Amino acid sequence: MSRSWHDVASLEQLEREGVVVTRVAGREIGVVLDPEGGPRAIRNRCPHMGAPLCRGSVRERETGSPGRYELDGTRVLHCPWHGWEFDLESGVCRDDTAMRAAVYPVRVEAGRVLVEG
Amino acid sequence: MIDCDIHNQIGDLEEFLGYVSPGQREWFRAQGAMLGQPDYLWPHPLGWHRDELEIGPGGEPGSTIELIQREVLDVHAVDAGLLTGDIGATVSLMPNPYRAAEFARAHNDWLAERWLAVEPRLRGSILVPAQDPPAAAAEVLRLADDPRFAAVLLVGGSERPYGEPRYLPIFEAAAEAGMPVAIHSGGEGLGLSPSSGGAGAPSFYIEWHTLGSGCSIMAHLVSLICHGTFERVPGLKVLLMEGGLAWLPGVLWRLDTNWRGLRAEVPWVDRLPSEIMREHVRFTTQPLEHTNGHDALLWEMLAAVGAPDILCFSSDYPHWDFDPPDRLMARLPAAWREAIMHDNAAELFGPRLGLKAAV
Repeated sequence: MSRSWHDVASLEQLEREGVVVTRVAGREIGVVLDPEGGPRAIRNRCPHMGAPLCRGSVRERETGSPGRYELDGTRVLHCPWHGWEFDLESGVCRDDTAMRAAVYPVRVEAGRVLVEG
Repeated sequence: MIDCDIHNQIGDLEEFLGYVSPGQREWFRAQGAMLGQPDYLWPHPLGWHRDELEIGPGGEPGSTIELIQREVLDVHAVDAGLLTGDIGATVSLMPNPYRAAEFARAHNDWLAERWLAVEPRLRGSILVPAQDPPAAAAEVLRLADDPRFAAVLLVGGSERPYGEPRYLPIFEAAAEAGMPVAIHSGGEGLGLSPSSGGAGAPSFYIEWHTLGSGCSIMAHLVSLICHGTFERVPGLKVLLMEGGLAWLPGVLWRLDTNWRGLRAEVPWVDRLPSEIMREHVRFTTQPLEHTNGHDALLWEMLAAVGAPDILCFSSDYPHWDFDPPDRLMARLPAAWREAIMHDNAAELFGPRLGLKAAV
C-alpha cells in the first residue's frame, strides 16, 4: 500500500493542544508532542483495550531501586485507560513487548506538521 | 520424600521451661499450656488434630520423637522433615517483644537439643520474634552455623505485610545464613495481628480457615514483590506454607496486570511480578484444594505460574487437614511427583537438609 505525507495541523496548534488527531486511510493517527523529541505520530488505538491512546499523557518514566524513586530519562505515552506505557519511537509497550501500537514518520515543514501514513 | 511441615508439639511443659531463662521462667509457667502465646478465637469445632493419633505427653499427638518417627518418618519413608512447632508459631504476635524473644530463643534451643540432636532425619525452623526485627535477625545469626536448622519461620498473621522495610533485617539474616524464610499461615486476627482480608473478624472457624490463612499468604507474597525485597536481598528464597494454591494464578495475573499500569508506584519492580515469584518463592502443597472433579484444570492453572517447580510437599502432621503423602502423590500428575515430593525441597533447603548427594 502506498504511503504519502498528510498535513495534520500547524505546529502552533500542536504546541497549544499537545495532541492532534487525524484520520488516514480509515485509521486514526495522533501526533503528540514529546517535549524532548518533538512531534511523534502513533496510532490512536491502544492495542490492549482499544483506548484512544493519544488522549493519554507523555511522561518521563520512573525507575529506581527499592524505596528510591527516580526518572530514567525516557518518555512514554501513558494510555488514558489502564496506564500502560508505550515507547514513542517504536510504539512498543514497555512492560509487555507483545503489545505494539503502529508509529508513523512525522516531520515539520514550514510550520506544518506532516505525517506519512 | 521430604515433608516440609511437621508440627511437633510441646508435650512436657517443665522440660520446655528448663530452656527459659530463670528471670522469665515463672511468667511463662503461670500461663499454662499455651505458654503465653496468643490463642485462637476460632477453635476447630472438633479439635485441631487427627482423632486416631496416639496421644503423647501433654495430651497432644506428635509430642515425642517416637510418635513422629512412627507416625510420619517411618510410615511414609521420609528422608527429611522440617519441624515447624505449633503454639510457638504465633510468638511474633505476643504484645511483649521481650517475652517473645525469650520464648523464641528457648524454643530454638529446646528444638536443637530435644529433637534435632536425637533424630537425624529431622530439621528445624528457627522461631523469631518478628515484632522486634533486629532481635529476630540476631537470633537467626546466632543459629546460622548449626546445619540442623534449615529455615527461618514467620507466621502469616503479622502487624504489617512482610515486604515492609522494618522486616528487612530478618530476610537479610536468613539469606546470609543460607536458609529460606518460611511463612506459615496462622495467627491471623490473634494478638498483634489484625484480621487478614480487610473485612473484619470472621464469625466461624470455617471462615477463618478458608480466608484468614489464605489471605495473609497472598498479602505477604504481593508485599514482598512490591517492596522489591528480592532485589534488596538477591539470594533470598521464601517458602509460603499452608495458604492454599488454587488462588495463586488469579492473584499473580491480577498483580501482573496491575503492574503494567501502576508500575510507576513501584518502579524498582522491573519485570513481571510472576517472574520474580518463580525465581524466589516456593509453596507447600497442603491443604491442596479439592476440585470437585476438576484436577486437570488445577494442574493447568498451576502449570501456568510455574508448577511443578514452585511446589514442595507438606503433610501438616498431626493436624486434622493433613494430606497423606501417598494419596497426594497419586493425585499429582506423574511427571510432577519427583519434583514435588523431593527435588524442589532438596534444592530449596540445600545442604542443610543433610541428604546424601545423588550419585
